[in-house]
Amino acid sequence: MPVEIPVEKWAGKVNEVKLGGNGRKSIVIGGETTLPFLKIDGAMPHRPAIAVEVDDVMPADWSPHLIAAWGDALEDPAVWAKKAAEYGADIIALTLDSAHPERGNTGAAEAKKTVEKVLAAVDLPVIIIGPDVAEKDNEVLIAASSVGRGQRLALGNCVDKNYRSVAAACIADGHVAIAKTPIDINLAKQLNILICDIGLAPDAILMDPTTGGLGYGIEYTYSVMERLRLAALIGDKMTSMPMICNVGEESWRQKEARATSGVPATWGDHQERALAWEGITAVSLLNSGADIVVLQHPRTIALIKDAISKLMA
Amino acid sequence: MPDELHTVEVLPSQKKVTAHRGSLLLDAAAKAGMVIDTPCGGQGRCGRCLVKVTKGQAIDHESPRLTPQQRADGWVLSCTARVGGDVSFVIPAQRERELIVVETATTRTAVPVQCDWPFYPTVRQFYAELPPPSLDSNAADLDRLQAYVAEKQGLAKLAVSPTLLPRLAATLREANWRVTLTVILEGGDQQARLIDISPGHKTGPLYAAAVDIGTTNVVIELVDLRQGKALGRVSSLNKQRSCGEDVISRIIYSERGNGLETLHRLVLETINGLLQEMAAQYKFDTRDIHQVTVAGNTTMIHLFWGLPATYLRKEPYTPTATFFPEVPASQLGININPNAPVYCLPAVAAYVGGDITAGVLSSCLFKSNKLTLFLDMGTNGEIVLGNSEWMTTCACSAGPAFEGGGVRDGMRAIDGAIEEIRINSKTLEPTLEVIGGVPPQGICGSGMITGLAEMLITGVVSRSGRMNLSLPDTYPGRARIRPGEHGAEYVLAWASESGTGNDIVLTEVDIDNLIRTKAAIYAGIAVMARNLGIPLDSIEEVLIGGAFGKHINIEAAIQIGLLPDLPWDKYRFLGNTSVWGAYNVLFSKYARQQVEESARKMTYFELIADASFMDELTAAAFLPHTNADLFPSVKEMLK
Amino acid sequence: MALSGIEIYKHLPKTNCKKCGFPTCLAFAMKVSQKAIAITACTDLSETARAALEAASRPPIRLITIGGDSRKVEVGNEVVMFRHEKTFYHPPGLMIKLKDTAPLEATLKTVDEVANLVIDRVGLKLSLDGFAIQNESKDAATFARCVEAVKAKADLPLVLMSPDPAAMEAALEKSARSRPLIYAATKDNWEKMAELAKKHSCPLVASEPASLDELAALTQKLNQAGVEDLVLDPGPQGFSSSLNTLTQLRRLALKKSFRPLGYPIITFPAETTGSPEEEVLLAGQQIAKYAGIIVLSRFSPATAYPLLTMRLNMYTDPQKPIQMSPGIYPIGAPKPSSPLCVTTNFSLTYFSVATELEASGFPSWLLVCDTEGLSVLTAWAAGKFDAEKIAKSVKAFNVEASISHRSIIIPGRVAVLRGELEEELQGWKIMVGPPEAMEIGSYLKRYWTN
Repeated sequence: MPVEIPVEKWAGKVNEVKLGGNGRKSIVIGGETTLPFLKIDGAMPHRPAIAVEVDDVMPADWSPHLIAAWGDALEDPAVWAKKAAEYGADIIALTLDSAHPERGNTGAAEAKKTVEKVLAAVDLPVIIIGPDVAEKDNEVLIAASSVGRGQRLALGNCVDKNYRSVAAACIADGHVAIAKTPIDINLAKQLNILICDIGLAPDAILMDPTTGGLGYGIEYTYSVMERLRLAALIGDKMTSMPMICNVGEESWRQKEARATSGVPATWGDHQERALAWEGITAVSLLNSGADIVVLQHPRTIALIKDAISKLMA
Repeated sequence: MPDELHTVEVLPSQKKVTAHRGSLLLDAAAKAGMVIDTPCGGQGRCGRCLVKVTKGQAIDHESPRLTPQQRADGWVLSCTARVGGDVSFVIPAQRERELIVVETATTRTAVPVQCDWPFYPTVRQFYAELPPPSLDSNAADLDRLQAYVAEKQGLAKLAVSPTLLPRLAATLREANWRVTLTVILEGGDQQARLIDISPGHKTGPLYAAAVDIGTTNVVIELVDLRQGKALGRVSSLNKQRSCGEDVISRIIYSERGNGLETLHRLVLETINGLLQEMAAQYKFDTRDIHQVTVAGNTTMIHLFWGLPATYLRKEPYTPTATFFPEVPASQLGININPNAPVYCLPAVAAYVGGDITAGVLSSCLFKSNKLTLFLDMGTNGEIVLGNSEWMTTCACSAGPAFEGGGVRDGMRAIDGAIEEIRINSKTLEPTLEVIGGVPPQGICGSGMITGLAEMLITGVVSRSGRMNLSLPDTYPGRARIRPGEHGAEYVLAWASESGTGNDIVLTEVDIDNLIRTKAAIYAGIAVMARNLGIPLDSIEEVLIGGAFGKHINIEAAIQIGLLPDLPWDKYRFLGNTSVWGAYNVLFSKYARQQVEESARKMTYFELIADASFMDELTAAAFLPHTNADLFPSVKEMLK
Repeated sequence: MALSGIEIYKHLPKTNCKKCGFPTCLAFAMKVSQKAIAITACTDLSETARAALEAASRPPIRLITIGGDSRKVEVGNEVVMFRHEKTFYHPPGLMIKLKDTAPLEATLKTVDEVANLVIDRVGLKLSLDGFAIQNESKDAATFARCVEAVKAKADLPLVLMSPDPAAMEAALEKSARSRPLIYAATKDNWEKMAELAKKHSCPLVASEPASLDELAALTQKLNQAGVEDLVLDPGPQGFSSSLNTLTQLRRLALKKSFRPLGYPIITFPAETTGSPEEEVLLAGQQIAKYAGIIVLSRFSPATAYPLLTMRLNMYTDPQKPIQMSPGIYPIGAPKPSSPLCVTTNFSLTYFSVATELEASGFPSWLLVCDTEGLSVLTAWAAGKFDAEKIAKSVKAFNVEASISHRSIIIPGRVAVLRGELEEELQGWKIMVGPPEAMEIGSYLKRYWTN
């Protein structure tokens, strides 16, 4: 007997957001008219992108496996970024961690220098992430914004407390804001509304719904993302922004990925477990709607790149 | 032809000016020396600048401010209507404009609903001339009384309150066997109990009191049971307020030391005080009050009875009782006729009390064929959804913001309270309406609602309720928005204009509080409706009760997302439905039967137990709501 | 189709008799619509009403049980496409594949390892569910021997994999009492496999890689042969086809109530992947996207742990508000002399307090009490955030060891708790913080002097 497959006809579409350009390689993400990779309902015109995290200071508490994989590159963000490009990054996610009050407290001048260096080292699109303290974020992101004018960077994090100034910088210099909210569909939508209300175009916004790593709240992120994406497909313009997930950091900072000793034997081989931790987190969030996953380990970059190709096939 | 000139006549002054085609009637009037007040800044929002075109042409678009009839009669908004040819228009007196606005948008009068109960009080009073005893007829006094009422009043069985016996013989003899008897019907119409016996023939009012014990206010309606008439009302703050603003605080207070006793005493002091004031005003003795009915939330009734309240707030939230026996006033400590029966209207659950069943009764919801939403917005917000067939109810801890609590310059709706605010979107200057027409001392619930709505629409606050400190200095009212101790704030009245000598402000913290309160109520409505599978727009009527319901601006309440975005004509204001419910029970025994039936029938819904409640609460904690599509009329305005 | 409370109410007697344990018929109807109680709890239901309501509440995906009384796996009976719509009820079984050609000793070693793998995660014990034994030898006796040995070593749920009915029969003789899943009935052998399934009362996989049409045709034949407990095998599925095919199957069952495909699904992620690393990723996808039984080609605790965690996460009830685990959280890099604040474990409450503390310039300690995911006021009103609870949390999380002072800042909205808390926490200074998180920074600047 012929089986009639139920098809969902969605009215909405995820915004297409362009990063890079103006001499730099560009990439477009978003544009879905279907749930992730679900070909029967609609189209997924752009493959989700892999961003690779590059920090402006040597990470203090990283897993030995990460440190071994990147080696000396960790000491110089420009070298690190080049290496990430070689490993297959679509985007460089530069984190200005040194501006954190407790990790160097550097300011606008240092941020400018670092951003200039990294922009010169690679021709990939670039995401700039502040140290996650709203006031410092303002300072370094505004500095980065002027350095990267016209190169359509993505600037984060744009949060409840600083959205006016980050969004204003994006409007002035032609960048994309990464709107980050605690894992909650309503807060995500509310921030998008507030940012749009002050005049940033909806196609210059990415959503970071806050990533919970595997075993540390991934189910919350997963469901909030599914809800956001379903709302977008139904036609809600204020949830139609592509989503970015900070998979690498949220996987590798957990003790299952980081701890080298004092763990039960039942946890098995450390590296195999840690890679699976990052990989499963990435695949799950891609399946719930991530348009950009930020990764940390070179092996995961390769595995996820391959998985994305197969999911898009 | 923009340069075309026309003659504009402004009435009643009959001044004529020339104006370009397309210029605003407002500007033409100004040319004629008539400045029309535009509190909203000429945005067509407030409807205060109405004029009536009597001759000629004005071009205007439709406005929700005007009914089709008004438009047909020539009414236009002078801030949006333009000169379309030679035209004459009348600027009505301030008062007339006000009335029109009141009729179109914000009907304020609180009219108790009539559910057509037959007048059938259970307390009756009648005059009796008993045959004196003799040696031939020496039955006991009580037997004589009983035989008399059996014969003359058809009361086959008359019990007597034991406290009356000691003075019975003396009273009968001193009054020469002519007495006025007061009885209460018990268990059918042929049985009664004597609760008072007085010498002579009393013909004045037969006093009874309908009491609403609110968490914040206590209201008493004096009733004449002989005529079946409400005589007047007194109210005051509940003296328990010194022990906490909301029911939870009261319960916690009751759990400590003599807390329960204190609260019991304070509510009785409040009631006895009011009754005394009433008696002084109407010149009677409080002992002439022969019946009391009481409506109040479950906590208030527990405290009124002196029952432990602690289990009301602890899972699984169980009251001692939801139906309370009728007891003599002396047992509860009310200083009236000690035998007067006191009846508390039944509750449904720990957080849906007799005030709500009273509301269901007095609003006639119990017999409505329309799908009806009843809201009682007091310190607690209670919601009933249903019709004559079924009813569900829930409670949301809204908090006391609308009654002035937790808001820096918040106050009750009494003289000196700002009850309406308009903000001019061109200047950001406010226009205030103050109860009693005195200098403002603070802001009451309705003022907060209109104030927040205006701040939202004029861009003073963002949709998350944050002040916009980056507005340019070109607005004359810009200085009113300033950083403050409790977040940024907006100055409603400068110290020099206020009745307190201080600036009166709304702060971001106040606004957070208001948003939380309105979100709790909206989320309660949304979660309950969804659990029943009922879309909000299928609600046919919304009835608003509670003391606060007298002074609510529907439009503003929708703009901030407190009430669902339904057509305004679906809303009706009923004022204090709780005291009217208690009144109905005095008026007719059938009303009492009905309120008990309704209480049994109402299905209580526990919001906190619903998994989606917190989610819904977060969604509603935005202006007007995270999902603006739920508020199409507001969405349009915010564009 | 799920009925709303009001729709169910219309079928009820409306007598409010309370025999079902609920105060009114409407209260009962609302519970039925939430699937919190069966409609049969109403004893006064008319026959027509019962029929109408039962048809509406029949599970669209059949519940299948594999395994005996000691350990079993129940899969199926799912009612939603997305976990936020309700919840995912029955976590997929994770099975390790064994081959009867491998040395028995090595096989039994693996069996032992799998059976003894217990990972302790936040108080829960996570373990794999059982084994899929493949008749690689094509020999009935070898297969039966292997099955018998595995079962003797560890009585866990089994999938028996052989296309040969004779081999299957032999293996079933040794294991039927523990209700193994028979893999598989195909269009070539279905009649004999159906006989075995009926004879031994075991669930049966219907395997048909050609198309969903043919898979449905096969399940219908098996139904007609009297087998109701089925599991679907739509053939090897890679990342994309797994997502698309399994989504279609779930949709058919839920949205179309298409009974021929209303069964749980078995997957073999290794069949389409090139490496163990990739197999794990596909298995991870299949946990969230609609697999009922996942057969892994190899056992490695390092990959079992993340998969078991993934399964635990996806199958928790998403309708509960997001909660923080109670405990004491450092915000910034607090010292023992830093301020101590207390709040509830509703995640958004935590986030707003933590954000403000972070921005305040005062590294701090934040004590999070278990209030079942309710915010400060709601929890306080419900008696879940009181002096006793705060005092207990201070002790339970050994707060005194983290800090050198004895001051605790309570939310301004529960200022009323101060007195009681002073009694509960002898020797402590109870400070009443601001009512709104937003004011924490200015509060600390003003009042914190340690």
